[in-house]
Amino acid sequence: MNAFFTCNFRQVFTLAILFSSFTSIAAEQAETIFAELTPSLYQIKLIDKASGEKSSIGSGFQISSDGIIATNYHVISSYARHPNKYRIEYFNHLGQAGSLTLKSVDVINDLALVQREVSDEMDFFVLSKVAPHKGEKLYSLGNPHDLGMIVVPGTYNGLKKESFSERIHFTGSINSGMSGGPVVNKQSEVVGINVATSGNQIGFLVPHDKLVKLFEAYKKSAPTDIKIQMSEQLMASQDELMTTLLNSTWQSKPLGEKGMIPIIDVPFIRCWGESNADKTDALILAAVANCSLDENTYLSSHFFTGSIEIEFRYMQAKDISDNKFYYLYQQQIARAGAGNRAGKDDVSEYQCHHDLVKPDNANINNKAIFCTRAYKDFSGLFDVLYLGASIDKNQQALVSHFTIAGVSQKNAMTFTRKFIEAVSWK
Amino acid sequence: MEINSMELSNIDIEVTNKPDKEIRTMPKDKLTVSPTIIIEEISRGQKMLHRYKLTQESITIGRGYDNDIILSDPHICPNHIHIDFAQGSWKVNDQNSINGSFLENPKSKKQNADQHIIDDGDIISVGKSQLRILFIDHPVTPTVHFSAFESFINLMRHPVSLFISIAMFIGIAGSLGYLSSPIESNFSQFFVNAIGMAIVFALWPGGVSLVSHLTKHDARTMTQLGISFVFFNLMWFSDFIDTMVAFNTASNSLAILVATLLSIGLTFSLFWLNCSIGFHMTAKRRAIVSFSLTALLFGGTYLVQYSHKPEFNPRPQYNATLMAPNFLLAPSSSVDKFIDDNNLLFEKASKAALSDK
Repeated sequence: MNAFFTCNFRQVFTLAILFSSFTSIAAEQAETIFAELTPSLYQIKLIDKASGEKSSIGSGFQISSDGIIATNYHVISSYARHPNKYRIEYFNHLGQAGSLTLKSVDVINDLALVQREVSDEMDFFVLSKVAPHKGEKLYSLGNPHDLGMIVVPGTYNGLKKESFSERIHFTGSINSGMSGGPVVNKQSEVVGINVATSGNQIGFLVPHDKLVKLFEAYKKSAPTDIKIQMSEQLMASQDELMTTLLNSTWQSKPLGEKGMIPIIDVPFIRCWGESNADKTDALILAAVANCSLDENTYLSSHFFTGSIEIEFRYMQAKDISDNKFYYLYQQQIARAGAGNRAGKDDVSEYQCHHDLVKPDNANINNKAIFCTRAYKDFSGLFDVLYLGASIDKNQQALVSHFTIAGVSQKNAMTFTRKFIEAVSWK
Repeated sequence: MEINSMELSNIDIEVTNKPDKEIRTMPKDKLTVSPTIIIEEISRGQKMLHRYKLTQESITIGRGYDNDIILSDPHICPNHIHIDFAQGSWKVNDQNSINGSFLENPKSKKQNADQHIIDDGDIISVGKSQLRILFIDHPVTPTVHFSAFESFINLMRHPVSLFISIAMFIGIAGSLGYLSSPIESNFSQFFVNAIGMAIVFALWPGGVSLVSHLTKHDARTMTQLGISFVFFNLMWFSDFIDTMVAFNTASNSLAILVATLLSIGLTFSLFWLNCSIGFHMTAKRRAIVSFSLTALLFGGTYLVQYSHKPEFNPRPQYNATLMAPNFLLAPSSSVDKFIDDNNLLFEKASKAALSDK
């Protein structure tokens, strides 16, 4: 017992020594990395032309000798959407400012390429050839909250699980303003780009290969119109997502006593459940299953797309008349809303159609409501909403509902058909 | 008396001179007994306030108590005018009144009435009052038949039917309150609310009765209440029809328009009956009043809704009417049809996106 304790104590001691020496080495490395790379780091500012003041800030890093700088799409999104209202400026480590031109974007992976004018060839960040390994020490660079360029050490923790668009899970503090800054390994090669945080040392990075792809494509042929480029990317992305969903297994699962609902078996659609079984005074017993794609595509601060929500609600009357049950049931379905944020400048108003629909293959009769609104800048893309409410049982009801943001008409209708036909009574 | 006989002979001559006016001879014959004249004191809105039928040759009008017609208007002199029968016709004799007397003529400027030979229907203003003068042969409007509604109206004002109507109203309002309440609670609570609602709704017929009372018409409160509650109940029924239609039909169905027209029609009929019971007015006027009230109600509601409508609504507006399976009458569409119908929506949305870009 005693020996064990000593041994154990020694181990702890060694660990502590190791840790302290490691941190001091890390600090040194961070210092050299910072000193070496800082001339190629920039703060990126969006200047509102009318007021002459900055409207958003982020970070960026040079990736070519002729002045191509990589950053996040969301840093320059206002410019991409309203090029006449803003201009993009950089601020280098010496405090010099200059203007930038937008060259190319990857709206799905939140990346953008901008270019500064250079007179001579300049130093730049080298993009890594390989992905980091789990536990590898990485250094995130950026300018958080306009406080000045900093370096943050952290750890690579693999790719985010259950995610449709790939993101690196980085354990380290990424703060707003660092968006678009590079994350490098010990060899000072870029392995990711700061993009998001979910607080408490959980940061997310865009993998470097997305940037490599964007940069290669740009070198081959630069896009002529950023809006058309975005439109094509959104269209391709929704096609990929919807194809994946439509070709995955739709497992039929029971909900409540009598409902049968489809659960799409893909890792990036996550489901949650809830019921009011504990509320003894409720007039209706309700069980809800929610499934959603948690990620969405940022288009501007008030316009998101790419989200999917699916909800099923099973209701069972408890000692109330059919009429009262249906009265309360109606209130439950009266206020369905959009799953994504979009404004007047982004989308049309919803157009709706309702009918009584009975699928040939299923033993359920529904009141079905379908609504859609069109994107103004990206023609061919729509937000859709479906709401099905069963109307054939006196004391039970099954509500099936989904919203999909940024989808083509063909994909939306294929999904709707499959969805309607997948909901039934036991 | 000499004068009188002279006048009489004059009239006889007149009558023989104009044999075509046979109808006039009949009453004029009566003048052999005594001349008769009707003087109506009317308001500025041509509404009759008092009516005098006089059978004497000279009528004195003024504020003094010695007059045949006593008017309390302070702008009238104690002895203001005389109306005298002379040589077969009536003549106005102003008694040098301070404010004068004038002949009201809608077509031309008003003229001094002194020495005016009166025609049937002339209006003479004295002070701020107006007098309409009629002869006994003044034509009257044709007799109005009892309307077909009369027996219905009489039935509805009967206390038993009135009680049934109101009880039905309270019953329906209470049941709807119960149906839409998400928590369990006792019936009495809903009925207290429903009684409150009935009282609020009774304000309308009450108000109409009050207005007809104030405008010197018969108030007929019971009748107004009876009719109004019958219609309120009919409107519940029309609401039910609306809901049935909305539940059983798809979007853009013509039946929804028809159901809306039904409730507009009911409202118009209620206002029409309210007017018919409470006020004497011509059919045309009644139609105009009821139409205006209906337009005000529905147009006003629409305007209020319209003004609350945001410039851009991020929420979908759809019809979520649900009813228990017993009320399901229509057959369901296939998924194919639903998908086809929805395909048209995309076109509509794209057009909307382009039009307000």
